[in-house]
Amino acid sequence: MQQGGGSDTEVTWEDQQNINKFGRLNNRFHELEDEIKIAKETNDNLEDASNELILTDEEVVRFQIGEVFAHVSKDEVENRIEQMKEVTSQKLEKLEEEKESVLAQMSELKKILYAKFNDSINLEED
Amino acid sequence: MASSSSTSGSASGSAVTERRGIPGAQFVEDVQTYLTQSGLDVGSALAFLQERLQQYKVVEMKLLAQQRDLQAKIPDIEKCLDVVATLQAKKGTGEELIADFEVSEGIYSRARIEETNSVCLWLGANVMLEYTLEEATGLLQKNLDNARASLEVLIADLQFLRDQVTITQVTIARVYNWDVHQRRIQQAVATTAQE
Repeated sequence: MQQGGGSDTEVTWEDQQNINKFGRLNNRFHELEDEIKIAKETNDNLEDASNELILTDEEVVRFQIGEVFAHVSKDEVENRIEQMKEVTSQKLEKLEEEKESVLAQMSELKKILYAKFNDSINLEED
Repeated sequence: MASSSSTSGSASGSAVTERRGIPGAQFVEDVQTYLTQSGLDVGSALAFLQERLQQYKVVEMKLLAQQRDLQAKIPDIEKCLDVVATLQAKKGTGEELIADFEVSEGIYSRARIEETNSVCLWLGANVMLEYTLEEATGLLQKNLDNARASLEVLIADLQFLRDQVTITQVTIARVYNWDVHQRRIQQAVATTAQE
């Protein structure tokens, strides 16, 4: 928060709540970015895995369950990977949606806060 | 979810006084009133607020560490549930499960797990107990639900804490600005008095 040069714009409780909400949304935004990155990586890995699976000619694949690699038939592994891809895609979609909503709320709050405080407040990433 | 319960136009402004041991930051409606009420001069008020900020930071570190622990624990429990579910699925078929497991770093061996009704669960403190597959699933699921619930509470605590940090930072800025403003006025008064 910038320290302004002795301005006397009063900060009301409502302003404080807006500032707090902006802070929370900003934090959530960064968390979402990290989560989205991880989900995209998982998706890519699953994609690579299923491609490898098509190329291999072994009937039995060592599929990681927990901490061990169980011997599973190729078909079952295909099904499992498809399932995991479904789950991850849905999760990714939800995360992207939440990110859009958070960004929209943040720009709304920016408008309100800049309107009241203009130079006395800094809401940008440093 | 929200920790603030006051509707707009509340007189005192401070919504929650404390949450699970974290003191709430008092919202200051008017800097002048705040300084007169607390009887502090600007320097002491700023020092007090800075100290509060430090305390908040310490608590935030602690909560973040707890959050990291929980976030690591949850996937582990999910993996265990996966294994138990696989064993349960194999039960009906009469097949045995062949698995490659790590004997030591980089060294793997093959194991043949025959149809079984029970698994052993590591409970911590060098204790391992044998459970039926159903009991194991139940216990693991309960642990998972507890961990998820604790994580939610923790995240809410962190949000509350961050709000208090923001309020304190804004109050520090306002007290400082008020002081600068006061000095300007006094200087202006002094220069006009001299003329």
